[in-house]
Amino acid sequence: MTLLAAANGISLPGTDDPINVSQTVGFALLAALMIWAAIRVVTTRNVVHAAVWLVVVLAGAAAQFILLAAEFVGVTQVMVYIGAVIVLILFGVMLTQAKLGNDPNLSRRNWYGGAVVAVVLFGLLAFATIDTFEDAKLPEDRRMALPAAEVGDGEVPRTESNTGAVSDAVFGAYLLPLEVLGVLLTAALVGAIAVARKD
Amino acid sequence: MSVASLLAAADTVPAPDVEWSALSPFLVVVVGACLLLPIAGLLPRRTRVAWSALFTIAVALGAIGASAWVWHDLSRVGPTERTTVAGAYAVDKFSLFLIVVICVGVILATLLTEGYLRREDLPGAEAYLLYLASASGAIIMVTAADLIVLFIGLEVLSIAAYVLAGLHRRRLRSGEAALKYFVLGGFSSAFFLYGVALIYGATGTTNLVGIAEYLATHRLLDEGLLLAGIGLLIVGFAFKVGGVPFHVWTPDVYQGSPSPVVAFMASVVKAAAFAGMLRVVVVALSTHRLDWQPILYAIAVLSMIVGAVLAVVQSDVKRMLAYSSINHAGFMLAAVSTGADEGIAAVLFYLAAYTVLIGGTFGIVTLFGRRGDGHHDIDDYRGLARREPFLALALTIFLLAQAGTPLTAGFLAKFYVIQAVVDAGSWWLGLVAMLAATISAFLYLRIVLTMYAGVTDADVEVAEPTAEPVRRIHVPLGAKVAIAAALVLTIAIGVVPDPLTHASRTARPELVAPGD
Repeated sequence: MTLLAAANGISLPGTDDPINVSQTVGFALLAALMIWAAIRVVTTRNVVHAAVWLVVVLAGAAAQFILLAAEFVGVTQVMVYIGAVIVLILFGVMLTQAKLGNDPNLSRRNWYGGAVVAVVLFGLLAFATIDTFEDAKLPEDRRMALPAAEVGDGEVPRTESNTGAVSDAVFGAYLLPLEVLGVLLTAALVGAIAVARKD
Repeated sequence: MSVASLLAAADTVPAPDVEWSALSPFLVVVVGACLLLPIAGLLPRRTRVAWSALFTIAVALGAIGASAWVWHDLSRVGPTERTTVAGAYAVDKFSLFLIVVICVGVILATLLTEGYLRREDLPGAEAYLLYLASASGAIIMVTAADLIVLFIGLEVLSIAAYVLAGLHRRRLRSGEAALKYFVLGGFSSAFFLYGVALIYGATGTTNLVGIAEYLATHRLLDEGLLLAGIGLLIVGFAFKVGGVPFHVWTPDVYQGSPSPVVAFMASVVKAAAFAGMLRVVVVALSTHRLDWQPILYAIAVLSMIVGAVLAVVQSDVKRMLAYSSINHAGFMLAAVSTGADEGIAAVLFYLAAYTVLIGGTFGIVTLFGRRGDGHHDIDDYRGLARREPFLALALTIFLLAQAGTPLTAGFLAKFYVIQAVVDAGSWWLGLVAMLAATISAFLYLRIVLTMYAGVTDADVEVAEPTAEPVRRIHVPLGAKVAIAAALVLTIAIGVVPDPLTHASRTARPELVAPGD
């Protein structure tokens, strides 16, 4: 069977759960939208349109994350990719004086190479996903429970949201790395100004 | 969820204990860097007194003071080491010793940079800010008790160093050096991070104590993952210290970077990388000594030989010194490869002595480079002793110390390394080290002889009537202080080595378990 299950001798969580119909339908709709938008990204003849279609793809990914109850990752996806990366791309397009209107020569002639890479990557990812999870389903309630050891006598085991678990890790075990990352960003910012500024 | 229940839940977030006193050296440097940002912004572009440089030196002195205080505290209170912030930051005498070395490196580089920036007419402040930021990364590296923390420290250290290499924006070579350093450094960081991931995969933790405990109590059925991880970690460290065969960036970067920055790179970056190597490879992975020892042994032999031999054939003094720094790294790696306490003490002594030596050497090289920082060909040094007797004498002393002449800091540094190597039973390594020391002595003597015997009296008499009178080199106050301090320390460590020897022997890296 699968790698994980074979190693542990137990079935993956949620294998026997009933299918969550509404979630599955939501996933299918979002996936269809994402695929269509992704195709438009590479087929449109306008650079700015391509960037905006990319927004749709990334927003779809964020929606999928939220559907999976990974709201922290979803919000991060919105902030980092839609908020920062797309803005960077648009600025890059505008500042480099690329053609803003339709450009018939937007596609390179040897786009077949990229297509081959994309198909191979898709095949690998699909194989890895199917091989690992086979027929596992997501459990109904995906909140993370605290380990029993941390719950005192007479207390009801407290369930924690994923965001709560992330914050506990970031402000607990990883407090120092978090603070040092602030120093890293400061150094990078000062360095960028030092490199870029003119006398 | 209502606001009231949210507020009630806020109290239950388990925040780790933070022992502020133990963190103080790091905090002094970081807060100092943050203060320097507005201070430098408010100052006018050119001031008669170099306030930014003075402030940087004050911050570094403050960090040294804080380290001395924590060191004293550790000796007095009890356990000689402690950990804070959920076991991510380990304070022991090893880290405090190296923090002091790093801060001395920052002070020397700052003193040299002040005059350099004025001479080259470059805007200041960001250089000092990057020194402090880089030093804070170095401090994190020498204190990290977790591989993730170590990696972030490495990145802080490196990113600031990449920019420092390209500080002289009008010189093409400086930009070239920065780009080369950045691209190759990015590669080595990726190797390092991959090594961290593989070790996490093999042991299930990134905490050094956890790794050591896991390896001491478990026997891995398949060691491939762990061994690959160790190998990649060593690649990352060896790149930063410039060990052969991961040294190719060193000559180009040293040649292109501003000379004061090279003093910083050679001292602070090396110290931080060796600290990480000692704590991770030698201490945390001590159960697998038989696996990593041959790798380090080979890198050490190659570095010593290649560094010494290639240095001799160079014609640019900065390139020579770059290869000689590879040679020095080989000596330190030889001491690391013993994996013994004497080896660690020898590395610490070597790092301290080398920081002082390289600060002084590149201080004078900065001055000899003159405006434009370009006069570094060996021919430019011909006859310098006649025109600049004091600077030539000082450079002679620094170079002889690097060669390992008795009564200087360099002699004992090399002596302790060879002693540690021989004590560990590696006769051949000791023999190679002595051979390499002899070859590199030839290199240093070549520079010295060029300075003193380059121009004969006849040449001068013929040339004097027609040639333009060569202008004397202007020595800024900062460089004077730095060179004088380095000179005094070089001789003092050579004549009275006991305090430093004692400190380096006391400063053994410990694996500090969290929660005590």
